[in-house]
Amino acid sequence: MQLAVNILVLASLYALICCGYVLIYRVSRVLSLAHGELMMLGAYGLYATASLFSGQPLLGLAAAGVLALAVGLAVYGALMWRMTGESVLAAVLATIALGILLRGAMILAFGTQTQYPLRELGWSNASIPVGAARISAVGVALVLATTLVYGGLFAFLHGTRWGVRMRAAGQHPLLAAQRGIALHGIYALAWGLATFTGGMAGMLIAADAGLESTMVIIGLKAFPAALVGGLDSLAGALLGSLVVAAAEVSLIQYVDPLLSDVVPFVVLLGMLVVRPWGLLGTREELDRV
Amino acid sequence: MSGYYRTRYGEDSALLDTRAQKAWLAVLVVILAVYPFAANVLWLDIANQVLLASIGAIALMLLTGYAGQISLGHAGLLAAGAFTTGILFKELDAPFWATLPASAAVGAALGLVFGLPSLRLRGLYLAVSTLALHFIVIFAGGEYETRRGYSTGIVIDSPLADPRAWYFVLLAASAATLLFALNLLRARTGRAWRAIHARETVAEALGISVQRAKLSAFVISSTLTAVAGCLFAYYRGFVSAEAFSLYLTIQYVAMIIIGGMGSLLGAVLGTVFVVLFPYAIDAAMAGLGLTERLSSVVFALNYAAFGLAMIAFLVFEPQGLVGLWRRARDWVLLWPFKQKPLAR
Amino acid sequence: MSAPLLKVEKLEVVYHRVITAVQGVSLEVPKGSIVALLGTNGAGKTTTLRAISGFIGLDDARVTEGRVVYRGEAIENRPPHRITALGIALVPERSKVFENLTVAENLDAVVPRRGARFDKGIVYHLFPALAALRRREAGYLSGGERQMLAISSALACAPELLLLDELSQGLAPLLVEDLMQRLRAIRQDTATTVLLVEQNAQVALEVADYAYIMENGRIVLDGTPARLRAHPDIREFYLGTGAGARRRSYRDVKQYRRSRRWYG
Repeated sequence: MQLAVNILVLASLYALICCGYVLIYRVSRVLSLAHGELMMLGAYGLYATASLFSGQPLLGLAAAGVLALAVGLAVYGALMWRMTGESVLAAVLATIALGILLRGAMILAFGTQTQYPLRELGWSNASIPVGAARISAVGVALVLATTLVYGGLFAFLHGTRWGVRMRAAGQHPLLAAQRGIALHGIYALAWGLATFTGGMAGMLIAADAGLESTMVIIGLKAFPAALVGGLDSLAGALLGSLVVAAAEVSLIQYVDPLLSDVVPFVVLLGMLVVRPWGLLGTREELDRV
Repeated sequence: MSGYYRTRYGEDSALLDTRAQKAWLAVLVVILAVYPFAANVLWLDIANQVLLASIGAIALMLLTGYAGQISLGHAGLLAAGAFTTGILFKELDAPFWATLPASAAVGAALGLVFGLPSLRLRGLYLAVSTLALHFIVIFAGGEYETRRGYSTGIVIDSPLADPRAWYFVLLAASAATLLFALNLLRARTGRAWRAIHARETVAEALGISVQRAKLSAFVISSTLTAVAGCLFAYYRGFVSAEAFSLYLTIQYVAMIIIGGMGSLLGAVLGTVFVVLFPYAIDAAMAGLGLTERLSSVVFALNYAAFGLAMIAFLVFEPQGLVGLWRRARDWVLLWPFKQKPLAR
Repeated sequence: MSAPLLKVEKLEVVYHRVITAVQGVSLEVPKGSIVALLGTNGAGKTTTLRAISGFIGLDDARVTEGRVVYRGEAIENRPPHRITALGIALVPERSKVFENLTVAENLDAVVPRRGARFDKGIVYHLFPALAALRRREAGYLSGGERQMLAISSALACAPELLLLDELSQGLAPLLVEDLMQRLRAIRQDTATTVLLVEQNAQVALEVADYAYIMENGRIVLDGTPARLRAHPDIREFYLGTGAGARRRSYRDVKQYRRSRRWYG
C-alpha cells in the first residue's frame, strides 16, 4: 500500500514537471533542457515572495505563481524567439546554455544554502494516514496540483479557441501563420505555462525537502517520462510518469536504493530502442529534426 | 582570388601546398617547441589542459561536426577511458602501456553501443539516447567507487611528474590526433561522413553504407575520447565520477560550437576559448577588484558567464570563431574590390 | 475605371540569389473578379502566389524587381502576418488543414482579419457536406472534403482576396467542377475576389473572368476565356483540342512571342 502511495506521489511530481516539456515541445518542437533550472527559479520565487508577504501565505503563493508565469514569458521574449527558424539542435543548446546561466545566477543571487520556503509560509508538512500507509501533506498537494493542472490544460487545449489555436500552431506553424494566428504569442504562452507548472513543481519539492541544487536533477529525471509517453502528448506524459515512477520506486524498494538516479534513463533507453515515438506520441514526430 | 589553381588530385588533397603555408607551419613548430621553456607554471598548465582537451574536442568534431551525429554523451566516454585506467591500475597494477590500449578498446566497444541508436534515431532523439547512455556509464563508475570504498575517487600514480615532459607528451598526442583526423577526412571514411551529414538518402543511393559510416564515426570518435580520458586520468592522477558531469559534456559541445562546426581549426580554437574562459573571468574579476567579494561563488560566476557566452555565440555567430575568422579574412582579401556575390 | 484590387508589376523572384524563377510578370486582379493563372509544372505560378502572399522567404527566395500592389500599397517582401492582416488569404497546395483538429476546430482556429467578422454559417451554407462532418478529425476527410475545408478555413479569415493554389490537384473531375462552381457562389455570397492558380486549364477557364498563361517564369498570353479558348495554341497545348493529325512542336509557336508586346 505504501508502495502504491509512493508511486502515486512520484508519478504526480514527474507528470507535473513533464507537462512543461510536452507543452514546449508540442508547440515549438524544442526540447527545453532548462526546465530543471526554471523549476528551481520558481521555488526561489516562492521563497522570495513568502518572505515578502510573511503572514499572508496565500498571497505569497499566488505572487510566486504569477512570477513564474512572467519568467516564462520573459525567457521566450529575451532569448527563445531568436532561435525560431534555427535548427532544433541550436535551440536545444540555447536552452542548455540558459540553464547553465540561470544556475550560476541563482547561486550568485541566493547563495548555496538550503532554504525552506515552507517555514517562511508558516505551514508544516504534516503526515497524513491513508489506510495502512502514510502520505505527507505536500504529497497530497502534489497529486491535487497535478490533477488540476492536467484537467485545466485539457480543458484549455480542447475547449477554448486559443487552446485550439495552440494545437494548430504546434501542428502546422506555417498554415497557422497563414490563418492569422500569432505564432510568437502562442510560443510565449507555451513557455509561460510551462514555467508556471514547472515552478509549481519546484515549489512543492522545496516545500517537501528543502530548496537546493539537487532539484535540477529531478527535473532531468522527469524528462525520460515525457519521452516514454511521447513528447507531444499530455496524456502520454501522465502514462509515462506512472511507468517511470513505478519502475523507480519498485527498484529502489526491492533491488538497490542507489538505482534511483539511473532508472529513468534505463527505461528511456529501452523505449527508444523499442518504440522511439513513445507510448502515445505521433509517429511522424520521429523524423522531424 | 590569388590565381593559384590546383590541377592534380595530389595537389587538391595535400595538406600543405604553398610555400607560405609551409613557412607558417615551421614558425608554429618553433613556437610550440620553445613555449614550455618560456612560459611560467600557470601558462604551462593551461597549455597542457588545452592540448589534452583538444583531443576530445577533435573527436567530438569528427562525430558531430563532420558526420552530423549529435552526441551528448561525451563525458561518459571520457569517464570510460579514465575509469578503465583507474580500475586496471587499482585491481591489476597495470602500467600505462597496458591501460592505454585497454582504454582505447573500451572506448571502441562503448562507441559501438552509443552508435547503435543512431541507426534508428536522428537529431533530438539520438541526442537523448546518448544522454541516457552517459548517465548509465557515470552510474556504473560511481557504483565501482562506492563498492570498492573509494568514496572520494581513485588515486592513480602518474608515470610522469614534470609538467614540461607532460607538455611534449600531450603535444605529440594532440598533433597525432589532428593528423589522424585530417587524413581520415581526406579519405573515403571522411567523405562518407560528410555525405551522410548532408543527405542520408542520397548517400545511400550513391552506394555509401550509411550504417557503416555512422558506426565508424561513433567508434573512432569514442576510441579517441577514451584515450583522452586515459591521459586525463594520468595527468590529474585522480579519477572520480563527479568530474564527468553533464556540464563537462556541454563544455565539449561548446568547444565545437564556439569554435565552429565542421572545421578542425574550429575544434582547436574552441578548445582554447573554453579552457581559457575561467582564467579570463578570474582576470576580469581581479581587474574589477571583485576577487575578495566573490571568491566564495567564483564557480557560480563561471557558470553564469559561460552560459551567457554560449548563448551569445548561438544567437549572434552560429558559425563560431572560425566564422569570425573567415569573415575577417574575406574582408581583408576583398577589401579594395568589395565585390558582391553572384546575381544581386 | 477603378484601380484593380491587386496589381503585379514586372515581378522578378530569385531563389538562393542565383535562380530566377519568375521574370517580368505583370497581372491585374480587378475587385470582385475571378482571375486564373494557368501553366504547367514549374511555370512559376506558385512562386508568384508566394510573392503575393508574403510566404516567400522560406525557401530563400526574394522579390528582386517589380512590385506587388494591393489596394494601392506596395506589399512585396513584407512579413507574411502583415499581409494576411491586410485581407489576403492563401489556400496552399500542401499542408492545407490541421489534421489533428476536427472540422469545427479547424474553423475556430482561424483568427479573422481585424475589424471583420466571420459567421461559420456561411461556410456550412456553401459546403453543406462539411456541416455533417463538424466533429470529424480533418485527417480522416476525403480529398474533396479536405479541399472544401481548406477553402472554408481561408474564408474564415474574412479576406478580400482569396488565393488558391492548385485547387484541382488530386481530385476527381466531377468534384473539381463542383468546387469551381462554388467559387462563383463564394464570389457572390462573400464578395471575395479570387486569384486561382491552376494546371487544369479547361476547368479554370469555365469559371474565370480573365486568365493569364505562364511558361518558364513569364506570362506568355492573357485574355478572356472566350479569347483563349479560341486561340489555336492554347487549344493545342492546354485544352487538348488542337486540330489536325500532325503533331506540332513548340518551335512553331510564333503567336506567343507576338502577344507579349507590352510586358517587360
